[in-house]
Amino acid sequence: MRLAELELEREDALQGPAGRQANVVAMPEPEGVVVRHKWQKHLLTFLMVFGPGLIVMEADNDAGAVSTYMQAGGQYGLHLLWILVVLLPICYFVQEMVARLGIATGKGHAAMIYERFGKWWGHFSLFDLLLVNFLTLITEFAAISLALSAMGVSPYISVPASAFGLTLLVVTGSYLRWERIVIGLCLLDLTWFVLAFMVHPAWASVARNTAAPTMPLGGVTSSLVFLVIAIVGTTIAPWQLFFQQSCVAEKRLRFADLKWARLDTLIGSVFTVSVAGAMMLVGNYGYTHGVVFQDPAQFAGAVMPMLGHFVRNGILLLMVNAAVLGTTAISLASSWAYGEVKGWEHSLHKKLWEAPGFYATYIACVGAAAAFVLIPRVPLQLVIISVQVFAGLILPSAIIFLQLLLNDRELLGDRWVNKTWNNVINWTIIVVLFALSLLLAAQVMLPNLFN
Amino acid sequence: MASIQNTYEPQYFNVIHPLDDVPEQKCTSEGLGHIAMTPAVRISLSVLRGYLILMTLMLGYHVLDLAGVVHKVF
Repeated sequence: MRLAELELEREDALQGPAGRQANVVAMPEPEGVVVRHKWQKHLLTFLMVFGPGLIVMEADNDAGAVSTYMQAGGQYGLHLLWILVVLLPICYFVQEMVARLGIATGKGHAAMIYERFGKWWGHFSLFDLLLVNFLTLITEFAAISLALSAMGVSPYISVPASAFGLTLLVVTGSYLRWERIVIGLCLLDLTWFVLAFMVHPAWASVARNTAAPTMPLGGVTSSLVFLVIAIVGTTIAPWQLFFQQSCVAEKRLRFADLKWARLDTLIGSVFTVSVAGAMMLVGNYGYTHGVVFQDPAQFAGAVMPMLGHFVRNGILLLMVNAAVLGTTAISLASSWAYGEVKGWEHSLHKKLWEAPGFYATYIACVGAAAAFVLIPRVPLQLVIISVQVFAGLILPSAIIFLQLLLNDRELLGDRWVNKTWNNVINWTIIVVLFALSLLLAAQVMLPNLFN
Repeated sequence: MASIQNTYEPQYFNVIHPLDDVPEQKCTSEGLGHIAMTPAVRISLSVLRGYLILMTLMLGYHVLDLAGVVHKVF
């Protein structure tokens, strides 16, 4: 077939510091898919790049997030919907920086912190990440245990089976296989919209509360502030920064892919925030019908007589799906980060025996968290509080390194560094996140401080 | 006699998956050492240190509080 015009869009990167950014290496032309129209080329390129942005966002709607959003709906009805609208651009701006840094350097976040800020900050970031990720994984397996127990499956079957399945998911030696399965799991979350329609919220009120903040009955209380901070904390999590940058590097996204990676991230942000809104609408059913609940599994059981088996089983299975998504993404964030720092092979493209350290880290994270949940009378409440504290600790630090790296002209050159408007927005986000993290940590550690 | 020439040349685009494409030379920190300590970097890291110290103190207070030491002293 004659190729009249080959548009590979492999842009050279000569705008950076001279000598360090050379053009592509001369190699035989790789085979691709030949299409006739420009729109087909754009669509196909987007589909090839699509994945990391959606996964990082939707995996953030993990078991803890399901619980938080449903509690927000259950305790305050539709009053906190507007927060999600505010969080949408914040999610996008933060993750766009991550995608940009990943594409520019082809390396993960942990590796970049080590290289540019030295061992002390590198060790600190890595230790904090691994710890908070491990604690979060425990909560994911606790949710799997809780949801499947409500469906009559013993935790001694559900938890090891989930851990085994999650291990199988990554050890096939194919990044693309893992990505396609996980995108499928993300799309299962569309069921939240079905559930939201089935609980028949007052749509006019939904629109009103989404468009403008409204004050819940009782005004501003300590519990309300805590829940608002918890929503922010659960929507922007530290592991997301490490995960997406490593994922972009793993997928070997090219400079020309940045616009599609941005679109992927934007779609992921909109999808995730919309799903979170749907969770709040489902929780709102408890608020309007006087159903008091501590966790989504309890809610699912309580509303079954009114809403039927589909809603009950739907909530329980979606809770499991959320936990599975969270577990695979968080474990990979840890494995990638640890592998980068240790200098091990750290790629899903490798077979189990080709990257033993990387896979051992993943399996150890998943296995240890699953085993921890099966310990009788394990202090899960302490784990949940620790997750909040450590997440509060690591998020501002991780995000500050991200911002400094995106202003590192020596490393990135003029092409990839933040523009002035980027910096204004991002520093504002950082200041707000610092304040909220401090407030959250203060409330968790010193519960009587504000009384 | 005038003749009509067919100048139409169909265009084709070769779309290559990122994983199949030739690797790009990325931005690298090789030989650069640590980040330059500009005022922005210095201030940011100082604020971060202060934040971490504050959090550690709060955590320490919380542990002492849980152990009942705070109530005994005050």
